[in-house]
Amino acid sequence: MTPAARQGGRLPDRATALAILAALVCAAPVFAVAWIAVTGETGDYLAHLARTRLPVYLVNSALVAAIAAGGAGLIGTVLGWLVARTEFPGRALFSWVLILPLAVPAYVAAYAWLDLSQAGGPLHAATAGLFPTVRGAWGAGLMFALVLYPYVYLLARDTFTGQSADAYNAARTLGAGPFSAFARTSLPMARPALAAGLALVIMESLADYGTVSYLGAPTLSIGLVRAWSGAGSLVDAARLSLILVAVALIVFGLERAQRSRARSHAASGRHRPAPRFHLSRTQGLAAALACLIPLALGLIVPLARLGWLALNEQPAPNLLPASWHSLTLAAISAVLAAGLGLSTAYALRGRTFIATASARAAGLGYAVPGAVAAVGVIAILSGTQALIDPAWQSVTGEVFPVLLTGAAAALIFAYLSRFAAAAIGPSEAALARVTPALDGAARTLGATRGETVRRVHWPLIAAGITSAGLLVFVEVLKELPATMILRPFNYDTLAIIAHNYASDERLGEAALPSLLIPLVALLPMIFVARYLSRARSSSGQV
Amino acid sequence: MNYAKLLAAGALSVLAAACSQPDTAAGAGSEQADTPRVVNVYSARHYRSDAAIYAAFTEQTGIEVNLIEASGDQLIERVRADGPRSPADVIITVDAARLHRAEEAGLFAQSDFAEFTPEIADNLIDPDGYWIAIAKRARVLAYSNQRVQPDEVTTYEDLADPRWEGRICVRESGNAYNQSLLASMVARLGEEEAEAWAAGIVANMARPPQGGDITQIIGVAAGDCDIAITNHYYYLLMQNSGEAANRAAAEAVTLFFPNQETSGAHVNISGAGIAVNAPHPEEARELIAFFLSDEAQRMFAEMTNEIPVVEGVEWENERLDAVMPFVADTRNVSELGDHNATAQRIFDRVGWQ
Repeated sequence: MTPAARQGGRLPDRATALAILAALVCAAPVFAVAWIAVTGETGDYLAHLARTRLPVYLVNSALVAAIAAGGAGLIGTVLGWLVARTEFPGRALFSWVLILPLAVPAYVAAYAWLDLSQAGGPLHAATAGLFPTVRGAWGAGLMFALVLYPYVYLLARDTFTGQSADAYNAARTLGAGPFSAFARTSLPMARPALAAGLALVIMESLADYGTVSYLGAPTLSIGLVRAWSGAGSLVDAARLSLILVAVALIVFGLERAQRSRARSHAASGRHRPAPRFHLSRTQGLAAALACLIPLALGLIVPLARLGWLALNEQPAPNLLPASWHSLTLAAISAVLAAGLGLSTAYALRGRTFIATASARAAGLGYAVPGAVAAVGVIAILSGTQALIDPAWQSVTGEVFPVLLTGAAAALIFAYLSRFAAAAIGPSEAALARVTPALDGAARTLGATRGETVRRVHWPLIAAGITSAGLLVFVEVLKELPATMILRPFNYDTLAIIAHNYASDERLGEAALPSLLIPLVALLPMIFVARYLSRARSSSGQV
Repeated sequence: MNYAKLLAAGALSVLAAACSQPDTAAGAGSEQADTPRVVNVYSARHYRSDAAIYAAFTEQTGIEVNLIEASGDQLIERVRADGPRSPADVIITVDAARLHRAEEAGLFAQSDFAEFTPEIADNLIDPDGYWIAIAKRARVLAYSNQRVQPDEVTTYEDLADPRWEGRICVRESGNAYNQSLLASMVARLGEEEAEAWAAGIVANMARPPQGGDITQIIGVAAGDCDIAITNHYYYLLMQNSGEAANRAAAEAVTLFFPNQETSGAHVNISGAGIAVNAPHPEEARELIAFFLSDEAQRMFAEMTNEIPVVEGVEWENERLDAVMPFVADTRNVSELGDHNATAQRIFDRVGWQ
């Protein structure tokens, strides 16, 4: 954890300032993009776009985001509740495995599903053309729902697990059926977490390029990439990305509104885990099936299709170093992001304007398509290098060497700036469970602030914070545009190798690296699962 | 906390990468006798065969190749932002329009590329000497053996004819190869006629664009459409696929090079230029010269089914032989860059998704 987190006890002052500074550093690339947008020259491309394709882009963006959010929200909430509150065959395993589809890049799922379902594909042939081709806005939205639902699932699971059973039991006592009781007590209490998850799903599906271009669902991010690659105007691309930033502001604003409304619902911080229902045999099998279906559609089917194609190909070279690069980059980013999330969440507790503003700004990186966000990072780093130039030149007579761009540190900076939202949102949702009353009680009992954080807060929020780290871990594993452009020489990651083959329509050769991404993602999940189960058993005494 | 060990290992690995970078890449401006020679390559190509070509280059010259692969636009942005400190020596793209853009951004140094080999056509070298083609790809047609008579297919222009209504499969217009095809139409026919052509293609599409070039060929084989627009090497890739369904699809269609009696088939290029701030310009020249050597040209033909730019190179690749030789458009490929932005706007106006 960062110093800020560890010194939680001495919070407000220095630690808060540190958290705010970290958040602002993460937000810097977005500001750089905004700067490019505002100060750049004005051409007539945007007017041309408004006359021609803009309406189509906007409609597709809305459709894709709505389908993605609806699908992911449904899958994630249902599965999160099943895993947290019921007992059925395979529950413990599903609890973690259900996160894995997040490790499948959406475009990989899209390549595989289009290959299966297109005219002439095996699914199309086997169903005599009845199975529709996965394409267009609904196809893309579905792909996002299948690979992004873990955002909602993970947060829903943690929230439902941590929820006190009191309200639910009261509802049951008052005659509500189990589902009605769920809908009227557990669900409203979980709203902040669900909203945080959905916000991430919406942002990520709006910022995606590969999936929507391959499936023929041109969203705003397509217009943006075209402004850049076709019209050669990075400025216009930056301007279009500001639309996405505005959408992000609205989405995050709605999410916050949810959270503050939910504050009154928040249960007491007393950690009395609700006992899980034992489902009947049939119900249990149905629950297992409900878990298996999204897992199959988002993870098993696409990877199996690629794996099948891979049987005919030589394995790609250099997978071992690429796996190591992916693993280390993701691990370091995840730990830093968890620290950032935690410290920012504490800073947000102070409810000062500057803390709120900087945390929201840090979250905006998530709304900007990766390629443009990477340009923001480059602008910041090269700007810094140029600032050092005069001093450096007066001493050495040469320009400052390339230290910032082209080093792995630049990558980690880019990841933190891009995925800060995935760290901050869940951390904040986790800390929302810690009510001020709880602090008061702990202090009354003579605990110092440090002790309060360590012995009272941490057991309550550990799951949420590690989930935040895990989300960033998986995101970094599959991140593509920033990795491609900012990486050092001769530095491949699994996502890059997979993309290089897939984009060249060599799906068979893309299979092995695509399979390795979820496998690498499994490592920290096992690790975290074991840590949390230990933490949970020891927190019983609190 | 057992995180510690893993983290420490990870941090070390990243630190090593972070620190080693400047040594190998940027700090090597001054060549001493005992420092290994290197060349820093920014490439938009990402074929497995390229690794073999770089390995052969290193073996022959002793020059180590440092490589970054990303999309052309991203590479341009990174080189531009790094300015005079950029370690880039050679910039390679897979599309003439991207070379044009890099040239406009002032990233390339002029060079006497025409002197590198006498066996390359003038239209494959930038008239201002900023870049040179290293391999060619033709954008051609693939038609159904069942539903199309060979004499029905003639030119790109003909595809806009209403008798092709509902019969054409083609990918989205964000694709650089489609943009260059339309740019070549703009160069040949002017903007107005090119726009009418693009509108005709949109009217004749069998379905909204989806997938890549192979998806289009499979669409023809499966009966979704009768004719597809594709780069030639995707078809050859399918012929040699380990997947039986792909081979069967290739069997069911014929690859056709249009405009053989008029302007020639549209050809796009992979090209390379030397960075204006290249720390290793001599090594950069050697690498580009190697790309144009018989050995590397042959590897393009044999490993990626690309068409060599150097005349008289021999190779062993029956599938490529089967479609060679053909008449190619003889306009300078730099015109594809000149008209790229116009092409893109046409696509937007006619609603080519």
